[in-house]
Amino acid sequence: MPIEKSDLLQGTLDMLILKIVTLGPIHGYGISQRLRQISKEVLLVQQGSLYPALHRLEKRGWLAAEWGESENGRQAKFYKLSAKGKQQLRKEESNWNRLAGAVASILQTAQ
Amino acid sequence: MPSWKFPFRKGTLDPQYESELRFHIEKLTEENIAAGMTREEARRRAMLEFGGAEQIKEELRDVQRIPILETTLKNFRWALRFIRKSPSFSIVVILTLALGIGANSAVFSAIDAILLRPLPYPEGDRLMELRQVNLKIQKPQTRLAPVRLEDWNRMNSTFQAITGYYTEDDSETSGSLPEKLKVAYVAPRFLQVFGVAPALGREFSPAEEEFGGPNAILISDSFWRRRFGGDPSAVGKHLRIHSSSWSIVGVMPASFAFPDRDTEIWLPVPANAPYTQHREWGWYIAIGRLRPRVTKEQARANLETVQAQLGRQFPETDADLTPGVVPLKETTVSGVRSSLWMLFGAVSLLLLITCTNIVALLLARGAQRQHEISVRLSLGASRLMVVCQLLTESFVLALTGALVGLVVAGAASNVFRGLAKDLPRVEEIHLDGRIVLYTLVCSVLATLLCGLFPAIRGTGGALSRALAQASRTQVSARTSLQWFLVGVQVALAVTLLGGAGLLLRSFQALGRVSPGFDPQNVLTFHITGSYGETVDFKKLGARITRTLEELRALPGVESAATSIFLPGVPNAYQNELTVSEGAADPNRKIVAETRVVSPSYFATMKIPILAGELCREDGNSSSVMVNRSFANTYFPGTAIIGRHLQEPGNPLFPGGEIGGITGDAREEGLNREPGPTVYWCVSGPEPDPYYLVRTSMDPRAMAGALRRKIKEIEPARSVFDIIPLEEHLNNAFGENRLRTILLTFFAVTAVSLACIGLYGTLSYSVTVRRREVGLRLALGALQGQIVKQFLLKGLAVTFLGCLAGWGLAAAFARALSGMLYGVSPSDAATLLSVVLLMMLVATFAALIPSLRAAHVDPMQVLRQE
Repeated sequence: MPIEKSDLLQGTLDMLILKIVTLGPIHGYGISQRLRQISKEVLLVQQGSLYPALHRLEKRGWLAAEWGESENGRQAKFYKLSAKGKQQLRKEESNWNRLAGAVASILQTAQ
Repeated sequence: MPSWKFPFRKGTLDPQYESELRFHIEKLTEENIAAGMTREEARRRAMLEFGGAEQIKEELRDVQRIPILETTLKNFRWALRFIRKSPSFSIVVILTLALGIGANSAVFSAIDAILLRPLPYPEGDRLMELRQVNLKIQKPQTRLAPVRLEDWNRMNSTFQAITGYYTEDDSETSGSLPEKLKVAYVAPRFLQVFGVAPALGREFSPAEEEFGGPNAILISDSFWRRRFGGDPSAVGKHLRIHSSSWSIVGVMPASFAFPDRDTEIWLPVPANAPYTQHREWGWYIAIGRLRPRVTKEQARANLETVQAQLGRQFPETDADLTPGVVPLKETTVSGVRSSLWMLFGAVSLLLLITCTNIVALLLARGAQRQHEISVRLSLGASRLMVVCQLLTESFVLALTGALVGLVVAGAASNVFRGLAKDLPRVEEIHLDGRIVLYTLVCSVLATLLCGLFPAIRGTGGALSRALAQASRTQVSARTSLQWFLVGVQVALAVTLLGGAGLLLRSFQALGRVSPGFDPQNVLTFHITGSYGETVDFKKLGARITRTLEELRALPGVESAATSIFLPGVPNAYQNELTVSEGAADPNRKIVAETRVVSPSYFATMKIPILAGELCREDGNSSSVMVNRSFANTYFPGTAIIGRHLQEPGNPLFPGGEIGGITGDAREEGLNREPGPTVYWCVSGPEPDPYYLVRTSMDPRAMAGALRRKIKEIEPARSVFDIIPLEEHLNNAFGENRLRTILLTFFAVTAVSLACIGLYGTLSYSVTVRRREVGLRLALGALQGQIVKQFLLKGLAVTFLGCLAGWGLAAAFARALSGMLYGVSPSDAATLLSVVLLMMLVATFAALIPSLRAAHVDPMQVLRQE
């Protein structure tokens, strides 16, 4: 069953976006496709959540954006990770891993 | 949460949102086409999947918006919390600002009331003072003849109406004792020109402005309260002036103080009386109200045409005259303009010092808050948000300071009114909405001046540095900036102190001049006289001579004299003279200061007679005295005694023989070197000259005896303005004294602030370097070395500030040059003593923290590590 944004933990979407963007400059459509493909169709992010999140991250200085030409020659807005964003991603990843590990061990113990 | 939001750069961003979202939809469409849909269908599905583009755009806009109201309220809450948490810091800042802003607002309130606002009459800026000007005579500006005033009023097309006035001190004799009243004699249309109606009663009726009409007067509010206890039934009562009875028809409002605030009676002069028909008798200073949208220049041109016409009609009297038009406000306040702006400049420098002081405090504070700020930034607050928050704190401090400052300004305004009684319009100084608004603007400016720089600096690159480094390593850079600010404060304080020093020196120099006469133990006063007495100058002279004789007979009176002017009180009255026997140099005009005095004047004022003998006044022939400067200037090396002087065009003094030469006295003002002066010896040249009485004891103690004597010999006349000559001389330089006192006060405040700044910065520097000092002491440094190090640092900065201040003070002194007496604006001695004084005070301020540094306990510091 696909998971929609509302089910995602607060802040998780931001982390996922930052992670996707580490692979290189990418536009909004590309990010939503990647999220879907890599999560094997589990995470379906609504555009209504994606774009505000992108702009928020850009405003905080974690993402840098510039207009460029897409594969088919049309103008698109490409996002890439800034130095500050890299730092932020590292922090969020380690937090997430700690949290996920903790949750996993609780679930295992409870079995 | 709903909040008022500011659409940030909305216009420029919307097309970008549009194309970014459209790109996404097109990609989805392509994807659908690839899956085998028709173009139509593919697009429809893409739109569906994408959802509401408008809604997304709205959300994107939200991301860019700053919720101003919400943030501001939050910032204010934080600011208040911050102030509560550090009360001593906040109180210091608030009080410093209160002083700076309060002093500034107080001086501004004076500038506003005196210089900026229109006169307190409806559309007061349309009121013009009109004079007749004759460029062919020595004093070209003369008073206007009543009949000419009527001509101007009738023939011009640029004034709604023209009126005029002159004042006289008269006796009112309906009470048990005669009372002196200041009466303004006014031409018709007086109230119409000012646009003011009586507060009680009515204006003059047309019949009352006619010759032979009923006698009517208006009285002032203060006279009404004093004499009638504010009883409305005063209207209709009668006063006795010039031995006739005058009916009070109205009471003027308290705010109406024209020609000045001492005027008690307004009395209409009929335009059609036989005695107002002479074209050569100047009576009035005329006041005209311009028609709407008429400029001063148009009015002048119009009156010139009118006067040219009159010149053709009456060539004898009118051909040489031209009109003078000056805004009434200008003639009222122009004398004090430079002093007031100078004080405003000084008080603004003071505010600048205050702000500099606070910048230094905030910088020190910012260093302590580095950690808090970097945590905020790392938690995702933008730099703008943090700067806004810091500015809000400064603003709350500045606003509180401004509110306290208003209280200070209120008190300062009262002091100012007390000190500046003689300034024009001083009674109009009030703290009102404009001053409150000005104070608020000041506080906003102060916020930006004080807060912006520390806020920007406090947040700059803080995230990377502050978390990585311990705060103490940054301290040195920060204190160098603070030291710079201390230097600025010292420089500005030296500037003000330099100006104050020059004014004080001038004041001293003025007190040290030898005036050539002896002002001590001389009592001056007036005895009411009326211009009606000038119809018989012989009788007038006899009356005054008799009064002088009676006065001389009083025990305690050494001598008594009359004079038109008071010696030493600034008053120039120059005239051109001719010598019947021919001048020493026929091509040289003889121009001399003219004084009209009784022969006893020289003995009374102790002005020595150097040659010849005292002038005589024996009815038909009169003789004159000249001073040494006159003799040396116009008749060097030649005998002058026995020659005859004439003042052409003055019927009062048909000419006189030079009887003797007197010593030079500073007649025209204590601040002026004595110039060539001629004394006409006439005891009664006008009905109301100054009486000067030399007493053998304190002149004030004689006032009662003088009054009783005058009452005995002249029961219908009142004695008034009984004031020692020395007090007149002090009052004459009252504006001088006012600006000297105020500038000195500002300078002392500035020096105190600069010292507080020096003390604070040095203390801070000692605090942050405690570890270092402790270590050095532990390693064997002597306490004396530590003290010397800190003291020298403080003094070096002060010295540099003094050097800069010297330059600024030189510039300030040039602005003051018109106000100086007996001291050059570049007087090195003054500036040097100012610098020495500053250094001395700074040494004390620096000594305390330096000594504290030497008493750091090394063990305690090391234990803290």
